Amino acid sequence: MLDSTPLKTVTFSLNGRDVTVEDGMSIWEASKAEGELIPHLCHKPEPGYRSDGNCRACMVEIEGEKVLAASCIRSVQEGMVVHTDTDRAKKSRSLVVELLATDQPTEAHDASSHFLNMAKLNGVEHSRFPVKAASHVPLLDDSHVAMRVNLDACIHCNLCVRACREVQVNDVIGMSGRGQEAQIVFDMDDLMGDSSCVACGECVQACPTGALMPATVLDEKQVGDSADYDREVQSICPYCGVGCQLSYKIKDDKIKYVEGVNGPANENRLCVKGRFGFDYVHHSHRLTVPLIRREDAPAKGLNVDPSNPFTHFREASWDEALDFAANGFAEHRSIDGTRVAGFGSAKCSNEEAYLFQKLIRQGFGHNNVDHCTRLCHASSVAALMENVGSAAVTATFNEIENADVAIVIGANPTENHPVAATYFKQFAKRGGKLIVMDPRGQGLKRHAEHMLQFRPGADVSMLNAIMNVIVEEELYDRQYIDGFTENWEAMKAHLKEFPPEKMSEFCGVPVEVLRSVARDFATARSAMIFWGMGVSQHIHGTDNSRCLISLALMCGQVGRPGTGLHPLRGQNNVQGASDAGLIPMYLPDYQSVTDDGVRSAFNEIWKSDNILGEKGLTVTEIMDAVHDGDISSMYVLGENPAMSDPDVAHARDALAKLDHLVVQDIFLTETANYADVILPASAWAEKTGTVTNTNRQVQMGRPAIVSPGQAKEDWWITVELAKRLGLDWSYTHPREVFAEMKQSMKSFDNITWERLENENVVAYPSLSETDPGQPIVFSDGFPRADGRARFTPASIIAPAEVPDLDYPMVLTTGRQLEHWHTGSMTRRTLVLDAVEPQANASMHPRMMRKMGIAAGEMVTIETRRGSINIMARVDKAVADNMIFVPFAYVEASANILTNPVVDPYGKIPEFKFAACRVSKVIDVAAE
Amino acid sequence: MIEIGRNFLDTVALDSGVWKSAPGKGRKTPKGRQVDDGPVAEVRALLGDREREQQFLIEYLHLIQDNFGCLSLPHMAALAEELRLSQTEVYEVATFYAHFDVVHEGEVSPPALTIRVCESLACELAGARALHLALKEGLNPGEVRVLRAPCMGRCDTAPVLEIGHNHIDHATKSKVDKAIADCDTHPHMTDYQNIDDYRANGGYVQLETLRSSGNWEVVQDLVNQSGLRGLGGAGFPSGKKWGFVRSAEGPRYLAVNGDEGEPGTFKDRYYLERTPHLFLEGMLIAAWAVGASKCFIYMRDEYPVVLEILRNEISRLENDGIVAPGYIDLRRGAGAYICGEESAMIESIEGKRGLPRHRPPYVAQVGIFNRPTLVHNIETLHWIARVCREGPEIISSVEKNGRVGLRSFSVSGRVANPGVHLLPSGSTITDIIEAAGGMAANHKFRAYQPGGPSSGILPANLSNVPLDFDTLQPHGSFIGSAAVVVLSDQDRVRDAALNMLKFFEDESCGQCTPCRTGCSKAVQLMQEDVWDQPLLGDLCDVMQDASICGLGQAAPNPIRLTMKHFQDEII
Repeated sequence: MLDSTPLKTVTFSLNGRDVTVEDGMSIWEASKAEGELIPHLCHKPEPGYRSDGNCRACMVEIEGEKVLAASCIRSVQEGMVVHTDTDRAKKSRSLVVELLATDQPTEAHDASSHFLNMAKLNGVEHSRFPVKAASHVPLLDDSHVAMRVNLDACIHCNLCVRACREVQVNDVIGMSGRGQEAQIVFDMDDLMGDSSCVACGECVQACPTGALMPATVLDEKQVGDSADYDREVQSICPYCGVGCQLSYKIKDDKIKYVEGVNGPANENRLCVKGRFGFDYVHHSHRLTVPLIRREDAPAKGLNVDPSNPFTHFREASWDEALDFAANGFAEHRSIDGTRVAGFGSAKCSNEEAYLFQKLIRQGFGHNNVDHCTRLCHASSVAALMENVGSAAVTATFNEIENADVAIVIGANPTENHPVAATYFKQFAKRGGKLIVMDPRGQGLKRHAEHMLQFRPGADVSMLNAIMNVIVEEELYDRQYIDGFTENWEAMKAHLKEFPPEKMSEFCGVPVEVLRSVARDFATARSAMIFWGMGVSQHIHGTDNSRCLISLALMCGQVGRPGTGLHPLRGQNNVQGASDAGLIPMYLPDYQSVTDDGVRSAFNEIWKSDNILGEKGLTVTEIMDAVHDGDISSMYVLGENPAMSDPDVAHARDALAKLDHLVVQDIFLTETANYADVILPASAWAEKTGTVTNTNRQVQMGRPAIVSPGQAKEDWWITVELAKRLGLDWSYTHPREVFAEMKQSMKSFDNITWERLENENVVAYPSLSETDPGQPIVFSDGFPRADGRARFTPASIIAPAEVPDLDYPMVLTTGRQLEHWHTGSMTRRTLVLDAVEPQANASMHPRMMRKMGIAAGEMVTIETRRGSINIMARVDKAVADNMIFVPFAYVEASANILTNPVVDPYGKIPEFKFAACRVSKVIDVAAE
Repeated sequence: MIEIGRNFLDTVALDSGVWKSAPGKGRKTPKGRQVDDGPVAEVRALLGDREREQQFLIEYLHLIQDNFGCLSLPHMAALAEELRLSQTEVYEVATFYAHFDVVHEGEVSPPALTIRVCESLACELAGARALHLALKEGLNPGEVRVLRAPCMGRCDTAPVLEIGHNHIDHATKSKVDKAIADCDTHPHMTDYQNIDDYRANGGYVQLETLRSSGNWEVVQDLVNQSGLRGLGGAGFPSGKKWGFVRSAEGPRYLAVNGDEGEPGTFKDRYYLERTPHLFLEGMLIAAWAVGASKCFIYMRDEYPVVLEILRNEISRLENDGIVAPGYIDLRRGAGAYICGEESAMIESIEGKRGLPRHRPPYVAQVGIFNRPTLVHNIETLHWIARVCREGPEIISSVEKNGRVGLRSFSVSGRVANPGVHLLPSGSTITDIIEAAGGMAANHKFRAYQPGGPSSGILPANLSNVPLDFDTLQPHGSFIGSAAVVVLSDQDRVRDAALNMLKFFEDESCGQCTPCRTGCSKAVQLMQEDVWDQPLLGDLCDVMQDASICGLGQAAPNPIRLTMKHFQDEII
């Protein structure tokens, strides 16, 4: 075991004292450990930041050496004699700072900058040196909406370059020129706003001088103070499943700016959404009072202006609104409990998800409760449950650090899991073989050893061909297969039918590439597989995942460091909401509703007797049931099916058809347009609760600000409704809910509310009260019969709707870096909206030329479901004959076009493939 | 556009639930500069089937610049895409090196012809400034661009300039006019000893013998016995390096430092333009001794003739089967003095900006591509061949003033016969001036630069010190590359010192504060009539103590020595 190897130490003399430290430690670190802070500028003692030793502010004297040494970059050696406190060293350090201070602007951009603190530490108040010519002082670059670039304060410490290139691996910032003429540049000396900058803001967080600052911290004179805030609250990012820890800096009860915190998943890193996408909480559209649909309101439709809901709704007190909502439910329940269904939310806390499913199950006696996991990874979950016995990842994405090969398939993490992507790019940068499989030439392509731009929908043929090579060339791991799997012989026989020579034509990947990918993966010491919605959102989504599971199993790439299966979860709490039972087939912890023992255990904990032993309806099935008249009332919490469901016109019709729709949200969403009562909820930054990220890490969210108006935390609202529905609920705090969850959820063993409050994060499984949680699971078997994982062969199924003469192109949908899902939050943040303000569809330039469409022109996209008009963006990454449409834009809603046909196992719709036709919008007036 | 807008607004009016739209505001492309098909095709055509690796970035930038006369951003973006680098990685390298002309969108390309006028000390003494002015004023800037440039390694024929790639010695405006008129802008080859002649005189026999039956340790002993020390300036015992490199695990590389940029130095060029094969055989012997799997020759771009000679002769070596094709990888610098610093040179060979690395680790352990690397100077290898062919005595038998060995002094400035003078290492400045034919007419000896600007300036009265390794340190100087520039009573030492610091300011890589900011502040302070000596003293201390590499550490020497010996000029 690595852990038991005794650490090598070295002993050296520090200012006359013998000090023993871990081998490899720098003099700077050793001194700090001894309680002495050597002034430092270019050295950032944070994860991911290599020491660069360029500023020379941390010089120390080493006996026997002619010149001084930079303590940050020099390792301690046995017997070394170091003096940090000689006049010579001190003089050198303060002169470095004095030199740098010479050309600082008269008024600092950041009154609390690290540089100023270090100048103070050195006793430098002014400089004796002549200033540089005014013509050489760089000017303000305010071209980016989120950040300000004032290079007059730049000290060339290179931290922003390391931030951009080595930490986030976005490769936008460089140091151009040389000597005194050297200067920080974006791309090729472009304005930041015109550059390829993705605004992760890592540079802003790293900059020690205020040369790079969040725009919100500076006034128009470019002066501000990063320490000027009233309080700081540590919480979790509300957007994606990476689960970045962050710190809200609050001034006058408003979030002033955000910084990354050293959580296990993000190590201080954030993306543009996490760092700059926080101000939606202060948006004027926030719901602040309960609303009840006016009697004289027009017919239900997408016809309410969220800035003025009073055309359709009237204000109500909480009591009235809750009574109205609960009485409506009770009325429908009195006919039949199944007339009421619920969509819970993957954006709220574990406790809230738990309460929501409990309300539906206990309050209405059925399992018709689901959430957006159905639209994301339901097929992955189905395949994982079937073959591995567990739906969560087998290893954290950070484990890629220990891998030497990694496959990323059907995922675009640079846009959708940007912080996870930084680890993937770092992996490739340090020599890991990154294999990217995607019909789109996405952001990881430049870093990939192999880029397989396969034909959309051809996943199974490609993966089976790769596995065929592994079988034919006997590259599989016999020992692992024998020890930990079942159904291998059938798998082997099945794969015979898929030689690369035959499959290459299907999937569009050259035979040699298929072979070399197979060899690279199978012969890797340790390899991981990551996937996203490109795999899951197909009618063969479950088959796609089955292939990936089989591929990992046959090569024994599960259960060791640097190995594993990792479906990248989308929402901040989609893992937790699923774990908490917000799915129609499972009670919390994936315990089947059809299992009598399970139900009786829950009945006991819940003091109820009515948990139904029959699987409930899924998201799309519920919508169909509404159309069929079987469901007439719904409780929708923080979900937006009027934007996110496939064939959304059909979904909107269903919503309009409901007799009684209760929507609980922070904004008047497209779904809330159809509501009978709207309950104003707290935003994530306003509440307490735990969330579970894609890594199985359970993390504590804390309230940073107070909710506007009368908005309430979701758990409180659900509890109030439950009480009014006759349930004996008495929760007064999420911690009580968490405690109840622990009674039925083994995954929470050893994880307590108190631990989360103190430690911020504990991953499951946690094996003891001090175990931070296991990054890797299944090293000694699987939670299935005999502890064996299963090979389930998959055959080729064509997409449900293939292009034809009428609809010759392929439509695929997804997300963009700046916009979260249906856009309700991100289109209400200044920065994100400014960067990506308009609905857009990406096409290959060749295709656009052929069709006579210029970049920026409007096109009409039509499918058998409907049509939208949208601006065409030229993008070489998109394959010929394809068009990519993000689904965040209400004015051109992608889901008007999508095909609602679902995967038979996961019941997930085929968002990634529909036949469409594209034409230029004809300018009628001009003709 | 308006109509499109109305189309949208109609939708909004119909459905107020469509609460958001921003017609005409969205980006038409992904973020950042898009790479156009045209430049991509041009760059692909230029690169042909050359390897798409970052290490060749500088080579490929040369290729583009040689072909198109400049580096346009679209071409650079296309190159980035071809090499799978980010645009900024290409840009920062291109802008680091003085010989690349980066042209932004909307900027005009430089004229077809460029004249670089050397402004280093020997040329400045010989009237480079007036020459530069005359050319600037006398030539059409639309047709000819006149730039200042650092030392071109031809100080014995100062003032010099380079027009296109043709160097003009003892340059005058009329010579330039004639060169322009004659389109005489290409390098003039020298009459050097080619491979046939070299082999006819026993060349490469020693190498073949060693390769078939030699013992590298015996050769190392020979080199050690000769007393040969690194002639790039550091003076490290040459044979000693071999053991370090040889003992490290392979693959190992040999890198030849041909970036002879220390102003006043031209001895490497001298040997290469006459007897390139002595150097090449020496290199191959050293490569054999350490088991190098490849030799890199980093040759400065200021020596186009040498580059041409080496290209020809390396291909002859390949044809004659003395080396495998590709075993010798000739790399062309791009105008950066700092790349003479061995670790900066290695960065440059890897296709990056020439920033010196921190030590430890030393390049013998962690060099090119992080592999153990033996670095030798050109002249050192020349002598290794001679030691192997003629015996260690050719060096060790020479003794003078208690010092052993030979030194190739590059002598320029106010002497009658400037040039390379091979003299005993124990020679004093008096001996050197004598060897150079005495002082120039009407000049009285006043001061001298013993080994490039890094060594500073010594007064004439320090005339009995042998100019050898280790002898000048007590005087705050060092012999370095033995680039001697002699100053006379007609020269101001403070002007020479300022010339030196301006050179360091231009050539500082900019990585560390003391050198980047220090050189710049020094230049400002040295232009004052009366020097602020306490402040300059502090500045010298921090530069010497805290700079990363020798450039910054030695840059204060001219300041210190001026303050020490020439107070009358600065108070």
